Amino acid sequence: MGRERWHSRAAFVLAAIGSAVGLGNIWRFPYMAYNNGGGAFLIPYFFALLVIGIPVMIIEFGLGSKMQAGPSFALEKVKKGTGWIGWGAVIVSYLLVAYYAIIIAWCWVFLFKSLTVAWAGHEKAFFFKEILQLSKGPTSIGGFSIPVLLGSLITWITIYLIIFKGLGPIGKVAKVTVILPIILLAIIFVRGITLPGSIEGIIFYLQPDFSKLLNASVWISAFGQIFFSLSLGMGVMIAYSSFIPRDSDVNNNSFITCFANCGVSFFAGFAVFTVLGYLSHATGQPFSKVVSSGIGLAFVVFPTAIAKMPVFKSGFGFIFFLTLLSLGINSAFSLVEGFITNLRDVVNMSKEKVSFYVCLGAFLLGLIFTTKAGLYWLDIIDHYVANLGMVTVALVECILVGWFFGVDRFRKMVNETSEIRLGKWFNIVVKYIIPITLITMMVKYYYEEFQKPYGGYPVWSLIIGAGLVISCFVISYFINKRVMEKE
Amino acid sequence: MPMSAWIMLIFGVVVLYGGLIYCVSKTRRHEKKSPAKDTID
Repeated sequence: MGRERWHSRAAFVLAAIGSAVGLGNIWRFPYMAYNNGGGAFLIPYFFALLVIGIPVMIIEFGLGSKMQAGPSFALEKVKKGTGWIGWGAVIVSYLLVAYYAIIIAWCWVFLFKSLTVAWAGHEKAFFFKEILQLSKGPTSIGGFSIPVLLGSLITWITIYLIIFKGLGPIGKVAKVTVILPIILLAIIFVRGITLPGSIEGIIFYLQPDFSKLLNASVWISAFGQIFFSLSLGMGVMIAYSSFIPRDSDVNNNSFITCFANCGVSFFAGFAVFTVLGYLSHATGQPFSKVVSSGIGLAFVVFPTAIAKMPVFKSGFGFIFFLTLLSLGINSAFSLVEGFITNLRDVVNMSKEKVSFYVCLGAFLLGLIFTTKAGLYWLDIIDHYVANLGMVTVALVECILVGWFFGVDRFRKMVNETSEIRLGKWFNIVVKYIIPITLITMMVKYYYEEFQKPYGGYPVWSLIIGAGLVISCFVISYFINKRVMEKE
Repeated sequence: MPMSAWIMLIFGVVVLYGGLIYCVSKTRRHEKKSPAKDTID
Protein backbone atom coordinates (compact mmCIF):
# COMPACT_ATOMS: atom_id res chain seq x y z
CA MET A 1 0.00 0.00 0.00
CA GLY A 2 1.37 3.42 -0.96
CA ARG A 3 1.89 6.29 1.42
CA GLU A 4 -1.21 8.28 2.31
CA ARG A 5 -1.45 11.69 0.56
CA TRP A 6 -2.98 15.09 1.18
CA HIS A 7 -5.83 15.81 -1.22
CA SER A 8 -4.21 19.04 -2.34
CA ARG A 9 -1.34 21.36 -1.64
CA ALA A 10 -3.77 23.77 0.01
CA ALA A 11 -4.92 21.03 2.40
CA PHE A 12 -1.32 20.40 3.45
CA VAL A 13 -0.43 24.06 3.88
CA LEU A 14 -3.61 24.77 5.84
CA ALA A 15 -3.00 21.76 8.08
CA ALA A 16 0.58 22.95 8.70
CA ILE A 17 -0.64 26.48 9.45
CA GLY A 18 -3.29 25.00 11.74
CA SER A 19 -0.63 23.07 13.60
CA ALA A 20 1.60 26.11 13.97
CA VAL A 21 -1.13 28.55 14.96
CA GLY A 22 -2.19 27.70 18.48
CA LEU A 23 -3.08 29.20 21.81
CA GLY A 24 0.36 30.84 22.10
CA ASN A 25 -0.48 33.13 19.18
CA ILE A 26 -3.22 34.70 21.26
CA TRP A 27 -1.89 34.53 24.78
CA ARG A 28 1.88 34.71 24.37
CA PHE A 29 2.86 36.89 21.40
CA PRO A 30 0.95 40.10 22.34
CA TYR A 31 2.36 40.02 25.88
CA MET A 32 5.89 39.32 24.61
CA ALA A 33 5.62 42.31 22.29
CA TYR A 34 4.27 44.56 25.05
CA ASN A 35 7.01 43.45 27.47
CA ASN A 36 9.86 43.69 24.98
CA GLY A 37 9.64 47.10 23.41
CA GLY A 38 6.08 47.15 21.98
CA GLY A 39 6.19 47.73 18.23
CA ALA A 40 9.99 47.67 18.31
CA PHE A 41 9.74 43.94 19.15
CA LEU A 42 8.64 43.38 15.56
CA ILE A 43 12.23 44.00 14.41
CA PRO A 44 13.90 41.13 16.35
CA TYR A 45 10.76 39.06 15.77
CA PHE A 46 11.02 39.43 12.01
CA PHE A 47 14.77 38.82 12.14
CA ALA A 48 14.17 35.63 14.16
CA LEU A 49 11.54 34.56 11.65
CA LEU A 50 14.09 34.81 8.82
CA VAL A 51 17.08 33.25 10.56
CA ILE A 52 15.47 30.53 12.64
CA GLY A 53 11.73 30.08 11.93
CA ILE A 54 11.75 29.72 8.16
CA PRO A 55 15.05 27.77 7.90
CA VAL A 56 14.06 25.17 10.54
CA MET A 57 10.65 24.87 8.87
CA ILE A 58 12.41 24.27 5.52
CA ILE A 59 14.55 21.59 7.18
CA GLU A 60 11.51 19.83 8.65
CA PHE A 61 9.39 20.08 5.48
CA GLY A 62 12.44 19.03 3.43
CA LEU A 63 13.15 15.99 5.61
CA GLY A 64 9.55 14.78 5.47
CA SER A 65 8.99 15.45 1.81
CA LYS A 66 12.32 14.27 0.40
CA MET A 67 12.71 11.23 2.66
CA GLN A 68 9.00 10.29 2.40
CA ALA A 69 9.03 9.09 5.99
CA GLY A 70 7.96 10.10 9.48
CA PRO A 71 10.42 11.78 11.86
CA SER A 72 12.41 8.72 12.99
CA PHE A 73 12.90 7.15 9.56
CA ALA A 74 13.60 10.55 7.98
CA LEU A 75 16.42 11.23 10.45
CA GLU A 76 17.66 7.65 10.16
CA LYS A 77 18.03 8.26 6.40
CA VAL A 78 20.03 11.42 7.10
CA LYS A 79 22.42 9.60 9.43
CA LYS A 80 22.19 6.04 10.63
CA GLY A 81 21.53 5.62 14.32
CA THR A 82 19.83 9.00 14.79
CA GLY A 83 16.23 7.86 14.33
CA TRP A 84 15.77 7.89 18.08
CA ILE A 85 15.75 11.69 17.96
CA GLY A 86 12.66 11.44 15.73
CA TRP A 87 11.05 9.02 18.18
CA GLY A 88 12.04 11.39 20.98
CA ALA A 89 10.31 14.27 19.19
CA VAL A 90 7.02 12.44 18.76
CA ILE A 91 7.00 10.86 22.22
CA VAL A 92 7.65 14.26 23.84
CA SER A 93 4.88 15.68 21.63
CA TYR A 94 2.60 12.90 22.84
CA LEU A 95 3.32 13.95 26.40
CA LEU A 96 2.67 17.54 25.37
CA VAL A 97 -0.70 16.78 23.79
CA ALA A 98 -1.75 14.88 26.93
CA TYR A 99 -1.72 18.16 28.86
CA TYR A 100 -2.51 20.47 25.93
CA ALA A 101 -5.84 18.63 25.69
CA ILE A 102 -6.53 19.68 29.28
CA ILE A 103 -6.28 23.36 28.32
CA ILE A 104 -8.75 22.60 25.54
CA ALA A 105 -10.92 20.92 28.18
CA TRP A 106 -10.95 24.19 30.16
CA CYS A 107 -12.03 25.95 26.95
CA TRP A 108 -14.96 23.53 26.60
CA VAL A 109 -16.01 24.27 30.19
CA PHE A 110 -15.77 28.04 29.66
CA LEU A 111 -17.58 27.76 26.33
CA PHE A 112 -20.60 26.20 28.03
CA LYS A 113 -20.35 28.52 31.02
CA SER A 114 -20.18 31.56 28.74
CA LEU A 115 -23.87 31.10 27.91
CA THR A 116 -24.70 32.46 31.37
CA VAL A 117 -21.40 34.32 31.97
CA ALA A 118 -21.17 32.14 35.07
CA TRP A 119 -17.86 33.66 36.19
CA ALA A 120 -19.15 37.25 36.46
CA GLY A 121 -17.98 38.98 39.63
CA HIS A 122 -15.67 36.18 40.84
CA GLU A 123 -13.50 35.39 37.82
CA LYS A 124 -10.37 34.24 39.65
CA ALA A 125 -12.23 32.06 42.16
CA PHE A 126 -14.39 30.68 39.35
CA PHE A 127 -11.39 29.39 37.42
CA PHE A 128 -9.15 28.21 40.25
CA LYS A 129 -11.74 27.07 42.80
CA GLU A 130 -14.84 26.07 40.84
CA ILE A 131 -13.33 24.68 37.65
CA LEU A 132 -9.83 23.49 38.59
CA GLN A 133 -10.64 23.02 42.30
CA LEU A 134 -6.94 23.69 42.75
CA SER A 135 -5.20 22.03 45.69
CA LYS A 136 -2.38 23.46 47.79
CA GLY A 137 0.50 21.96 45.87
CA PRO A 138 1.65 19.23 43.48
CA THR A 139 1.49 16.56 46.20
CA SER A 140 -2.16 17.20 47.08
CA ILE A 141 -3.74 15.30 44.20
CA GLY A 142 -7.15 15.29 45.92
CA GLY A 143 -9.23 13.49 43.28
CA PHE A 144 -10.54 14.63 39.92
CA SER A 145 -12.07 17.91 38.89
CA ILE A 146 -15.19 16.55 37.19
CA PRO A 147 -15.74 19.48 34.76
CA VAL A 148 -12.13 19.17 33.56
CA LEU A 149 -12.38 15.39 33.30
CA LEU A 150 -15.52 15.66 31.17
CA GLY A 151 -13.91 18.38 29.06
CA SER A 152 -10.91 16.13 28.51
CA LEU A 153 -13.17 13.26 27.42
CA ILE A 154 -14.99 15.51 24.92
CA THR A 155 -11.63 16.75 23.61
CA TRP A 156 -10.29 13.25 22.97
CA ILE A 157 -13.50 12.09 21.33
CA THR A 158 -13.33 15.15 19.05
CA ILE A 159 -9.67 14.50 18.19
CA TYR A 160 -10.38 10.83 17.48
CA LEU A 161 -13.29 11.70 15.17
CA ILE A 162 -11.08 14.14 13.25
CA ILE A 163 -8.11 11.84 12.72
CA PHE A 164 -9.36 8.26 12.52
CA LYS A 165 -10.34 8.39 8.84
CA GLY A 166 -7.00 9.70 7.63
CA LEU A 167 -5.74 12.80 5.91
CA GLY A 168 -8.90 13.62 3.93
CA PRO A 169 -11.02 14.70 6.91
CA ILE A 170 -7.96 16.29 8.58
CA GLY A 171 -7.46 18.56 5.55
CA LYS A 172 -11.17 19.48 5.57
CA VAL A 173 -11.24 20.16 9.31
CA ALA A 174 -8.04 22.21 9.04
CA LYS A 175 -9.74 24.48 6.48
CA VAL A 176 -12.41 25.28 9.07
CA THR A 177 -10.18 25.44 12.14
CA VAL A 178 -7.69 27.77 10.42
CA ILE A 179 -10.20 30.16 8.87
CA LEU A 180 -12.71 30.17 11.77
CA PRO A 181 -10.39 31.60 14.46
CA ILE A 182 -9.30 34.38 12.10
CA ILE A 183 -12.93 35.36 11.50
CA LEU A 184 -13.64 35.13 15.24
CA LEU A 185 -10.56 37.23 16.05
CA ALA A 186 -11.83 39.83 13.58
CA ILE A 187 -15.18 39.86 15.41
CA ILE A 188 -13.39 40.25 18.77
CA PHE A 189 -11.30 43.07 17.32
CA VAL A 190 -14.30 44.90 15.85
CA ARG A 191 -16.17 44.59 19.15
CA GLY A 192 -13.07 45.55 21.11
CA ILE A 193 -12.31 48.66 19.07
CA THR A 194 -15.80 50.03 19.71
CA LEU A 195 -15.21 49.93 23.48
CA PRO A 196 -13.79 52.89 25.41
CA GLY A 197 -10.05 52.64 26.15
CA SER A 198 -9.36 50.30 23.23
CA ILE A 199 -7.12 52.76 21.37
CA GLU A 200 -4.95 53.14 24.46
CA GLY A 201 -4.59 49.37 24.46
CA ILE A 202 -3.39 49.41 20.86
CA ILE A 203 -0.94 52.20 21.64
CA PHE A 204 0.53 50.08 24.46
CA TYR A 205 0.84 47.22 21.98
CA LEU A 206 2.46 49.18 19.15
CA GLN A 207 4.28 52.14 20.68
CA PRO A 208 7.95 51.27 20.09
CA ASP A 209 10.66 51.52 22.71
CA PHE A 210 13.77 51.11 20.60
CA SER A 211 16.10 51.29 23.61
CA LYS A 212 14.95 47.74 24.50
CA LEU A 213 16.57 46.44 21.32
CA LEU A 214 19.95 46.93 22.99
CA ASN A 215 18.94 44.30 25.53
CA ALA A 216 20.08 40.77 24.54
CA SER A 217 17.19 39.15 26.40
CA VAL A 218 14.70 40.87 24.05
CA TRP A 219 16.38 39.17 21.09
CA ILE A 220 16.43 35.80 22.88
CA SER A 221 12.72 36.27 23.66
CA ALA A 222 12.03 36.93 19.97
CA PHE A 223 13.93 33.78 18.97
CA GLY A 224 12.07 31.78 21.62
CA GLN A 225 8.70 33.17 20.55
CA ILE A 226 9.30 32.28 16.90
CA PHE A 227 10.66 28.85 17.73
CA PHE A 228 7.93 27.77 20.13
CA SER A 229 5.04 29.17 18.10
CA LEU A 230 5.84 27.30 14.88
CA SER A 231 5.46 23.72 16.21
CA LEU A 232 9.13 23.05 15.44
CA GLY A 233 11.12 20.24 17.04
CA MET A 234 7.94 18.20 17.61
CA GLY A 235 8.08 15.97 14.57
CA VAL A 236 4.67 17.23 13.39
CA MET A 237 5.97 19.18 10.41
CA ILE A 238 8.15 16.24 9.29
CA ALA A 239 5.15 13.91 9.62
CA TYR A 240 2.77 16.22 7.72
CA SER A 241 5.24 16.87 4.92
CA SER A 242 5.93 13.15 4.51
CA PHE A 243 2.47 12.96 2.93
CA ILE A 244 3.23 15.42 0.13
CA PRO A 245 4.99 14.25 -3.05
CA ARG A 246 8.76 14.30 -3.20
CA ASP A 247 8.72 17.03 -5.86
CA SER A 248 6.70 19.49 -3.78
CA ASP A 249 7.71 23.10 -3.32
CA VAL A 250 9.25 22.87 0.14
CA ASN A 251 10.59 26.41 0.37
CA ASN A 252 7.47 28.31 -0.58
CA ASN A 253 5.28 26.09 1.62
CA SER A 254 7.60 26.91 4.53
CA PHE A 255 7.47 30.66 3.84
CA ILE A 256 3.66 30.62 3.62
CA THR A 257 3.27 28.61 6.84
CA CYS A 258 5.64 30.87 8.78
CA PHE A 259 4.24 34.17 7.47
CA ALA A 260 0.66 33.02 8.11
CA ASN A 261 1.49 31.96 11.67
CA CYS A 262 3.18 35.27 12.48
CA GLY A 263 0.42 37.21 10.70
CA VAL A 264 -2.17 35.59 12.97
CA SER A 265 -0.06 36.46 16.06
CA PHE A 266 0.25 40.08 14.97
CA PHE A 267 -3.47 40.34 14.32
CA ALA A 268 -4.37 38.57 17.58
CA GLY A 269 -2.44 41.28 19.41
CA PHE A 270 -4.96 43.89 18.22
CA ALA A 271 -7.93 41.80 19.35
CA VAL A 272 -6.37 41.13 22.76
CA PHE A 273 -5.07 44.64 23.44
CA THR A 274 -8.30 46.44 22.50
CA VAL A 275 -10.09 44.34 25.14
CA LEU A 276 -7.28 44.87 27.69
CA GLY A 277 -7.43 48.61 26.97
CA TYR A 278 -11.15 48.51 27.71
CA LEU A 279 -10.57 46.54 30.93
CA SER A 280 -8.02 49.10 32.10
CA HIS A 281 -10.53 51.87 31.32
CA ALA A 282 -13.47 50.07 32.97
CA THR A 283 -11.64 49.19 36.18
CA GLY A 284 -9.59 52.38 36.43
CA GLN A 285 -6.44 50.29 36.87
CA PRO A 286 -3.21 51.17 35.07
CA PHE A 287 -2.64 49.14 31.92
CA SER A 288 0.41 47.40 33.40
CA LYS A 289 -1.85 45.91 36.10
CA VAL A 290 -4.36 44.35 33.71
CA VAL A 291 -1.98 43.03 31.08
CA SER A 292 -1.02 39.37 31.40
CA SER A 293 -0.27 36.29 29.35
CA GLY A 294 -0.93 32.58 29.23
CA ILE A 295 -3.60 30.89 31.28
CA GLY A 296 -4.15 34.02 33.41
CA LEU A 297 -4.99 36.08 30.32
CA ALA A 298 -7.37 33.54 28.80
CA PHE A 299 -9.20 32.28 31.88
CA VAL A 300 -9.10 35.19 34.32
CA VAL A 301 -8.38 38.53 32.65
CA PHE A 302 -10.47 38.03 29.50
CA PRO A 303 -13.47 36.65 31.44
CA THR A 304 -13.20 39.73 33.71
CA ALA A 305 -13.30 42.02 30.67
CA ILE A 306 -16.22 40.05 29.21
CA ALA A 307 -18.18 40.34 32.46
CA LYS A 308 -17.67 44.11 32.44
CA MET A 309 -18.96 44.60 28.90
CA PRO A 310 -22.11 46.67 28.58
CA VAL A 311 -23.95 44.31 26.18
CA PHE A 312 -23.43 41.06 24.25
CA LYS A 313 -21.46 39.49 27.15
CA SER A 314 -22.36 35.86 26.64
CA GLY A 315 -22.02 36.09 22.85
CA PHE A 316 -18.60 37.66 23.20
CA GLY A 317 -17.54 35.03 25.74
CA PHE A 318 -18.77 32.26 23.47
CA ILE A 319 -16.84 33.70 20.50
CA PHE A 320 -13.66 34.10 22.54
CA PHE A 321 -13.65 30.54 23.89
CA LEU A 322 -14.68 29.13 20.52
CA THR A 323 -11.60 30.90 19.10
CA LEU A 324 -9.35 29.29 21.71
CA LEU A 325 -11.02 25.94 21.18
CA SER A 326 -10.56 25.92 17.41
CA LEU A 327 -6.94 27.06 17.72
CA GLY A 328 -6.22 24.42 20.36
CA ILE A 329 -7.94 21.49 18.64
CA ASN A 330 -6.02 22.17 15.44
CA SER A 331 -2.65 22.00 17.13
CA ALA A 332 -3.68 19.03 19.28
CA PHE A 333 -4.71 16.73 16.46
CA SER A 334 -1.58 17.60 14.52
CA LEU A 335 0.54 16.45 17.48
CA VAL A 336 -1.39 13.19 17.65
CA GLU A 337 -1.04 12.75 13.90
CA GLY A 338 2.74 13.21 14.18
CA PHE A 339 2.92 10.41 16.73
CA ILE A 340 0.63 8.15 14.68
CA THR A 341 2.65 8.74 11.50
CA ASN A 342 5.82 7.54 13.20
CA LEU A 343 4.01 4.60 14.73
CA ARG A 344 2.45 3.48 11.47
CA ASP A 345 5.84 3.48 9.78
CA VAL A 346 6.66 0.48 11.97
CA VAL A 347 3.34 -1.01 13.10
CA ASN A 348 1.07 -2.64 10.56
CA MET A 349 -2.29 -1.60 11.96
CA SER A 350 -5.30 0.25 10.53
CA LYS A 351 -5.55 3.99 11.07
CA GLU A 352 -8.79 3.54 13.01
CA LYS A 353 -7.23 1.15 15.51
CA VAL A 354 -3.99 3.10 15.98
CA SER A 355 -5.97 6.33 16.40
CA PHE A 356 -8.21 4.73 19.00
CA TYR A 357 -5.34 3.34 21.09
CA VAL A 358 -3.29 6.54 20.80
CA CYS A 359 -6.23 8.77 21.83
CA LEU A 360 -7.19 6.44 24.68
CA GLY A 361 -3.57 6.34 25.87
CA ALA A 362 -3.26 10.12 25.80
CA PHE A 363 -6.56 10.50 27.66
CA LEU A 364 -5.33 8.12 30.39
CA LEU A 365 -1.92 9.81 30.47
CA GLY A 366 -3.64 13.17 30.88
CA LEU A 367 -5.70 12.03 33.86
CA ILE A 368 -3.07 13.40 36.25
CA PHE A 369 -3.76 16.86 34.81
CA THR A 370 -7.48 16.56 35.49
CA THR A 371 -6.85 16.15 39.20
CA LYS A 372 -6.94 19.03 41.68
CA ALA A 373 -3.15 19.27 41.45
CA GLY A 374 -3.33 19.11 37.64
CA LEU A 375 -2.37 22.74 37.02
CA TYR A 376 0.89 22.35 38.95
CA TRP A 377 1.92 19.26 37.02
CA LEU A 378 0.87 20.82 33.75
CA ASP A 379 3.05 23.85 34.45
CA ILE A 380 6.07 21.77 35.52
CA ILE A 381 5.97 19.33 32.61
CA ASP A 382 5.26 22.06 30.04
CA HIS A 383 8.36 23.89 31.25
CA TYR A 384 10.59 20.89 30.52
CA VAL A 385 8.87 19.73 27.35
CA ALA A 386 9.51 23.10 25.70
CA ASN A 387 12.98 23.84 27.00
CA LEU A 388 14.46 20.35 27.13
CA GLY A 389 12.53 18.49 24.47
CA MET A 390 11.76 20.72 21.51
CA VAL A 391 14.94 22.77 21.54
CA THR A 392 17.12 19.64 21.69
CA VAL A 393 15.31 18.02 18.77
CA ALA A 394 15.58 21.11 16.56
CA LEU A 395 19.24 21.54 17.46
CA VAL A 396 20.04 17.94 16.50
CA GLU A 397 18.05 18.28 13.25
CA CYS A 398 20.08 21.34 12.25
CA ILE A 399 23.40 19.72 13.16
CA LEU A 400 22.49 16.56 11.23
CA VAL A 401 21.46 18.46 8.11
CA GLY A 402 24.18 21.10 8.39
CA TRP A 403 27.16 18.94 9.31
CA PHE A 404 26.38 15.34 8.38
CA PHE A 405 23.94 15.27 5.46
CA GLY A 406 25.58 18.34 3.93
CA VAL A 407 23.74 21.65 3.87
CA ASP A 408 24.73 22.28 0.23
CA ARG A 409 23.28 18.92 -0.75
CA PHE A 410 20.10 19.64 1.20
CA ARG A 411 19.79 23.13 -0.29
CA LYS A 412 20.19 21.83 -3.84
CA MET A 413 17.65 19.11 -3.13
CA VAL A 414 14.94 21.52 -1.96
CA ASN A 415 15.82 24.21 -4.52
CA GLU A 416 15.29 21.77 -7.40
CA THR A 417 11.53 21.71 -6.82
CA SER A 418 10.95 25.16 -5.33
CA GLU A 419 9.98 28.51 -6.78
CA ILE A 420 11.88 30.39 -4.10
CA ARG A 421 15.56 29.46 -4.29
CA LEU A 422 17.67 29.44 -1.17
CA GLY A 423 21.01 31.21 -1.43
CA LYS A 424 24.25 30.49 0.38
CA TRP A 425 22.91 32.40 3.38
CA PHE A 426 20.98 29.23 4.21
CA ASN A 427 24.26 27.32 4.71
CA ILE A 428 25.55 29.87 7.24
CA VAL A 429 22.23 30.00 9.05
CA VAL A 430 21.85 26.21 9.37
CA LYS A 431 25.49 25.43 10.19
CA TYR A 432 26.22 28.25 12.59
CA ILE A 433 23.48 30.73 13.46
CA ILE A 434 20.68 28.32 14.42
CA PRO A 435 22.88 25.98 16.52
CA ILE A 436 24.48 28.96 18.29
CA THR A 437 21.06 30.54 18.92
CA LEU A 438 19.49 27.33 20.23
CA ILE A 439 22.53 26.61 22.41
CA THR A 440 22.33 30.19 23.77
CA MET A 441 18.65 29.65 24.58
CA MET A 442 19.51 26.40 26.37
CA VAL A 443 22.40 27.95 28.31
CA LYS A 444 20.16 30.84 29.41
CA TYR A 445 17.54 28.32 30.47
CA TYR A 446 19.98 26.13 32.45
CA TYR A 447 21.53 29.18 34.06
CA GLU A 448 18.12 30.41 35.26
CA GLU A 449 17.13 26.88 36.28
CA PHE A 450 20.14 26.47 38.55
CA GLN A 451 19.84 30.01 39.93
CA LYS A 452 16.30 29.51 41.13
CA PRO A 453 14.02 26.43 40.91
CA TYR A 454 11.28 27.02 38.34
CA GLY A 455 8.02 28.48 39.66
CA GLY A 456 9.00 27.96 43.31
CA TYR A 457 8.03 24.28 43.06
CA PRO A 458 9.73 21.67 45.29
CA VAL A 459 12.95 20.42 43.70
CA TRP A 460 11.78 16.79 43.69
CA SER A 461 8.75 17.72 41.55
CA LEU A 462 11.02 19.47 39.07
CA ILE A 463 13.25 16.39 38.96
CA ILE A 464 10.17 14.32 38.07
CA GLY A 465 9.24 16.80 35.32
CA ALA A 466 12.73 16.87 33.81
CA GLY A 467 13.13 13.12 34.33
CA LEU A 468 9.91 12.44 32.43
CA VAL A 469 11.14 14.34 29.38
CA ILE A 470 14.61 12.77 29.54
CA SER A 471 13.07 9.31 29.90
CA CYS A 472 11.11 9.96 26.66
CA PHE A 473 14.46 10.14 24.87
CA VAL A 474 15.83 7.06 26.67
CA ILE A 475 12.72 5.07 25.67
CA SER A 476 13.11 6.45 22.13
CA TYR A 477 16.64 5.11 21.93
CA PHE A 478 15.55 1.57 22.78
CA ILE A 479 12.49 1.69 20.50
CA ASN A 480 14.60 2.86 17.60
CA LYS A 481 17.26 0.23 18.26
CA ARG A 482 14.62 -2.50 18.24
CA VAL A 483 12.97 -1.16 15.09
CA MET A 484 16.27 -0.88 13.23
CA GLU A 485 17.26 -4.41 14.22
CA LYS A 486 14.00 -5.69 12.72
CA GLU A 487 14.53 -3.64 9.55
CA MET B 1 -2.22 57.19 18.01
CA PRO B 2 1.41 58.41 17.95
CA MET B 3 3.28 58.44 14.65
CA SER B 4 5.81 55.85 15.89
CA ALA B 5 2.97 53.39 16.60
CA TRP B 6 1.56 53.97 13.10
CA ILE B 7 5.00 53.30 11.60
CA MET B 8 5.30 49.98 13.47
CA LEU B 9 1.76 49.07 12.41
CA ILE B 10 2.66 49.68 8.76
CA PHE B 11 5.96 47.82 9.20
CA GLY B 12 4.17 44.77 10.62
CA VAL B 13 1.46 44.78 7.96
CA VAL B 14 3.88 45.20 5.05
CA VAL B 15 6.39 42.62 6.25
CA LEU B 16 4.05 39.88 7.49
CA TYR B 17 1.02 40.18 5.24
CA GLY B 18 3.08 41.48 2.29
CA GLY B 19 5.36 38.46 2.65
CA LEU B 20 2.40 36.11 2.85
CA ILE B 21 0.65 37.62 -0.18
CA TYR B 22 3.89 37.52 -2.18
CA CYS B 23 4.46 33.82 -1.41
CA VAL B 24 0.85 32.85 -2.12
CA SER B 25 0.88 34.73 -5.43
CA LYS B 26 4.09 32.93 -6.37
CA THR B 27 2.33 29.63 -5.68
CA ARG B 28 -0.55 30.60 -7.94
CA ARG B 29 1.83 31.48 -10.78
CA HIS B 30 3.68 28.24 -10.19
CA GLU B 31 0.50 26.17 -10.26
CA LYS B 32 -0.66 27.82 -13.47
CA LYS B 33 2.63 26.79 -15.09
CA SER B 34 2.44 23.19 -13.82
CA PRO B 35 -1.05 22.52 -12.49
CA ALA B 36 -0.58 18.81 -11.76
CA LYS B 37 2.33 19.33 -9.44
CA ASP B 38 1.82 18.92 -5.69
CA THR B 39 -1.64 17.50 -6.02
CA ILE B 40 -2.58 13.87 -5.90
CA ASP B 41 -6.11 13.59 -7.06
